[in-house]
Amino acid sequence: MAVSELIEIADYITKLKRGIAALRAQELTRDRIPMAHDELGSVVTATASATNSIMEAAEAMMVIEARTLDEYRAQVEARINDIFEACAFQDITGQRISKVVDALGQLEKRLSQFSTLVNVRDGEAEVDAEEARRQARRETLLLNGPQLKGPATPQDAIDALFS
Amino acid sequence: MALDLGMPILVVDDYQTMVRIIRNLLKQLGFEDVDDASDGTGALAKLKQKKYGLVISDWNMEPMTGYELLRHVRADDALRTTPFIMVTAESKTENVIAAKKAGVNNYIVKPFNAQTLKTKIEAVCGA
Repeated sequence: MAVSELIEIADYITKLKRGIAALRAQELTRDRIPMAHDELGSVVTATASATNSIMEAAEAMMVIEARTLDEYRAQVEARINDIFEACAFQDITGQRISKVVDALGQLEKRLSQFSTLVNVRDGEAEVDAEEARRQARRETLLLNGPQLKGPATPQDAIDALFS
Repeated sequence: MALDLGMPILVVDDYQTMVRIIRNLLKQLGFEDVDDASDGTGALAKLKQKKYGLVISDWNMEPMTGYELLRHVRADDALRTTPFIMVTAESKTENVIAAKKAGVNNYIVKPFNAQTLKTKIEAVCGA
């Protein structure tokens, strides 16, 4: 092997080490990813809790028994206040989601810089059998969840298929 | 033919909030006999114990999806005529067609309101 080739390999290794360091993988796995996990978990809990509070208030309003109109109004207003309070979750969850979006943006930026630096393309990674089975099941039997910007096929178009 | 408000309905969804929403909408429409299950396996067990007039099922559930439940129902001689409405957040045309081919009676995209649910129940169970 020529000296020039060895120098080239050494340069590449140096560049690779620089790229790996810039990924700051330990910071990602120690701080950012657990933070995103915790924040999203809190969002799920907060939305479920708010939904339950709102539904409890609505269900209570459906069965109000009052002797006078004033009494009825007072009970409805109390429940409406419960709903307003429950809606405060949106502000907090919005802030939590922004933090996760920011962390994902950082991760995307670092991965993109790393991929450009080392000039590699996506390869075929080894997938374990259980993951392959789960992936196949997801592709054949499960849907991908709600689409961004509304449903892929509007209800009217679906109705036409059943008419 | 008027809707039979006394018919038992089975709601299948892994999100308890959605079960609660559908239960309340059904109650608003006058249906009182509503049971629920959190996936296809639980639903199938209930369907074998009690005769339901309608199944309203989500698609995405584990371990048994709504689509698998539908296929089980249509393959079972005792259950094959049970009206089945799929309710899901995703509505790609190919999925709607797959559900239709598997024998679903109607398909509702989430979110939906009481009127949409009523219209579909009327279409499926006869009004």
